[in-house]
Amino acid sequence: MSAAANKRPFDAGRAAYLGLNLLFIAFLLVPIAIVIVFALNPTPYISFPPVGVSLKWFAKFFDSAEFMSALWLSLWIAGCVLVLSIVIGGACALALARGNLPGRAFLTAFFMSPLMLPAILTGLALFQSYLLAGVGRPVWGLIAAHTLVAVPYVLRTTLAVLYNFDRRVEEAAAALGASPTRVFFEVTLPLIRPGVLAGGVFAFIVSFDQFPVSLFLVVPKGETLPVVLFNYMKFDLDGAIAAASMVSILLALGVVLALERLIGLRAYVKL
Amino acid sequence: MSVVKARPSPIAWLIAPALLLFLLFFVLPFGVMAVMSFFSANPISNPNAFLTTKHYLRFIDDDAGIFHDALWSTLRIGLVTTIVSLLIGYPLAHWMARIQSRLANMLLMMAVIAPLLTGIVVRTFAWMTILQDKGVINTTLMSWGLISKPLPLMYNEFGTVVALVHIYVPFMVLTLAGVIGRIDERLEQAARSLGAGRLRAFVEVTLPLSLPGILAGSLLVFALSISAYVTPSLMGGTDVLTLPMLIAQQVGTSFNPNFAGALGMILLIVCFAIVIAYNKILARLAGEEGLA
Amino acid sequence: MGKQKGLTMISRRNVLRTSAFAAATLAWPAILHAETKTLKITTWGGKWGDIMKAKVLPAFEKEFSCTVSADQAFPFMPKLQTSPKNDPLYDVFHTNSNEQWSALTEGLVLDKISVKDVPNIADVYPYAVSDKIVGVTIFTSAIGLGYRTDKGLAPPKSWKDLADPKLAGSRGGYLIPVNSLGQCHLMMLGKVYGKGLQDLGAAYKALEQLKPIKLVDFTGQMEKMLLSAEVTEGVIHDSGVFRYYDTADRQPVDFCSPTEGVMALEQVLNVTPGSKVKELAFAYINYMLRPDVQKLLAEAVWYSPANKKVKLDAKYDEKLLTTPEKVATLIQPDWKWYNEHKDDIDARVTKILKG
Repeated sequence: MSAAANKRPFDAGRAAYLGLNLLFIAFLLVPIAIVIVFALNPTPYISFPPVGVSLKWFAKFFDSAEFMSALWLSLWIAGCVLVLSIVIGGACALALARGNLPGRAFLTAFFMSPLMLPAILTGLALFQSYLLAGVGRPVWGLIAAHTLVAVPYVLRTTLAVLYNFDRRVEEAAAALGASPTRVFFEVTLPLIRPGVLAGGVFAFIVSFDQFPVSLFLVVPKGETLPVVLFNYMKFDLDGAIAAASMVSILLALGVVLALERLIGLRAYVKL
Repeated sequence: MSVVKARPSPIAWLIAPALLLFLLFFVLPFGVMAVMSFFSANPISNPNAFLTTKHYLRFIDDDAGIFHDALWSTLRIGLVTTIVSLLIGYPLAHWMARIQSRLANMLLMMAVIAPLLTGIVVRTFAWMTILQDKGVINTTLMSWGLISKPLPLMYNEFGTVVALVHIYVPFMVLTLAGVIGRIDERLEQAARSLGAGRLRAFVEVTLPLSLPGILAGSLLVFALSISAYVTPSLMGGTDVLTLPMLIAQQVGTSFNPNFAGALGMILLIVCFAIVIAYNKILARLAGEEGLA
Repeated sequence: MGKQKGLTMISRRNVLRTSAFAAATLAWPAILHAETKTLKITTWGGKWGDIMKAKVLPAFEKEFSCTVSADQAFPFMPKLQTSPKNDPLYDVFHTNSNEQWSALTEGLVLDKISVKDVPNIADVYPYAVSDKIVGVTIFTSAIGLGYRTDKGLAPPKSWKDLADPKLAGSRGGYLIPVNSLGQCHLMMLGKVYGKGLQDLGAAYKALEQLKPIKLVDFTGQMEKMLLSAEVTEGVIHDSGVFRYYDTADRQPVDFCSPTEGVMALEQVLNVTPGSKVKELAFAYINYMLRPDVQKLLAEAVWYSPANKKVKLDAKYDEKLLTTPEKVATLIQPDWKWYNEHKDDIDARVTKILKG
């Protein structure tokens, strides 16, 4: 593609395109701006316009052992879920796209179904089953539950990449003498990696922000951050939850950035 | 290229971990829940519990007059949310897919993902700050003299849809961006060099090629928005009663998990039917066995 | 041979001694653990939860040599419902009166707690152990009207003042299916406009007249709506207004106990029949009824203590229900009756209040 072909004329059409998109970005970001204001505003309730700037809510958040341990637990669980869902979801996508399985459409819909069910039912059903099985409410049970709702995301993005895959690259490698295993590990996997990881990012976010499923499966002193925040909010609706939210956003963005740096999510978009 | 119905290849075995996960943590628990939905009470703790279809009949007969409404509300809100998310998400995805600089792309990606990270609780309160009678929008419009009474932007379906769209646009954008990004720009350029205007090139080249992405993103957002209950509960007041909200009420305050289970099964069946129909349409349009 | 025998004998004794010591060392945690019982309770979050975790529970654990595991993830009842009766998820169940009655219907809690098991019951006000209560009340709040004083309206005196046309669009209530204050409000409408707390016909009519009304899920939201002037008047419990009296920038919000009476929002403790540590559970309830513990919690969250012998500081004593006369204004609804009709009521009010 020559540079000349990339020069877009800046006219009314383009202005409208950019303007519209910037408006949409504003729509996405305005609530976050509000959260920032809320986190810095010293009044113990949502007020607009804000009365001042104060760091007391952040102090309250970091001082609270409960918030901090919930934050670390949520991050740790999200990390486990990220790894598990990438492996399980990626493998499943490959099987569905390449494995010539019967009933592919049904299977695909089946693996998407956790998304369609109100998470409160998923949480309740799992809680019931865990109790029946006599395992109580262990952390691995929580991780398994999160993985269940996260796998559909990885599945979707990986399937998207696989279905748009140019098989000729693989065929070329095979023609050059590479064994099927080698083709798989050195050609296929790297090429679908961005898709798998994009799904992984979703998985991380979905686990970190998961609320209804966690509601039934957390134990005292082992609550995830969303659960702690929700219960805090019922009694003490003040800026501390906004501060918690800000910290979560920054931490999670950090993880996403790191993933992007390491693996290059941009490739997902430009495959 | 002929499509030969081959036998399952060894790669098919890769489905095993997912199948195991789903069998243990999805099918089994929901099997339990499905069984429970046919009991009058929890049979394990209540020896007097008996098998009954009364929960399903309660929904079908709808003597209370609110259950069928709840199902339609759920589907309607889901549909509106999906369409609005698509209208907002497509331009954003197109921009993100076509942008040249890596820095801009990263910033855009973060801007799109950030709303997902705010957390369900805080995000809802942020919207309250913006939409309520004494919120940002109303106080600004009133101070400019454009309105004399606050606009009812919250505690109704409008506020619920706004909040839901805000959560789900990122999913739509990221799904679409992947598909649009893979469309070769040269195809559009070829159309342009043949004399088509930008808009026509878009409509006749890019849009059709991005159809799989549109359908995939829509299905995802639809599935998610019909199962949402925390946001509608906090944003909708009594004006909004969706099936998931009803389920949550039955579990959390009416303590009737059997009825809740029945409602859940009904929702699942309705959704499953919609997804399968969607996939069939997609298969016909895309010419292959479909992208869920 | 002798030497070896001696060596062997010493070795064997050493081995035995070492083994015994090793066994004891390995078993020590189990021995300790066997002595340390765990009491599983439920508790609210927020300020209440903070004080419980910081002061009340550690002191209890120390005095009774046990561990307390406090679940804060509401809702509790569905979890208790799902756990087996002979191994319940909680030993002590702390919730409001309406949920205790639901729990009783399913055999998940005890009906009455005897003064033999919890001696401090002898010192509580009659409302704490009345026939409307399952278990024993440890604190109560009064449900009345909260209002802003800076909107130029006369302070409300009666429940009927909420229907004032000037309040259209700025009055607040609760989603009745999910909130017990909303349920109490509905019953109160029956009493004020009709024949009594169970006159649902009059209540529905009165509810219709209250439209438009902003409905919220829980009291925290109502508190914030009053503080930010999103509503001018709303149904709220006294604690939700009083607790902001001490804040740095106090808002002009006040509480009214209507003339027709205030509804009781009780904090009720009960024990599960299947609990394996019943004695400890009763000891916990007794502990929560001690005057010093009652005073600490009451002053932290502005609840009225159930124990007659509690002496609160003047500023709390003035506002809370701490005398037999003040306590007599409390109206306790028949939750058994309400729970039986809940499904019909929920459907009906949803239809009435839908926009």
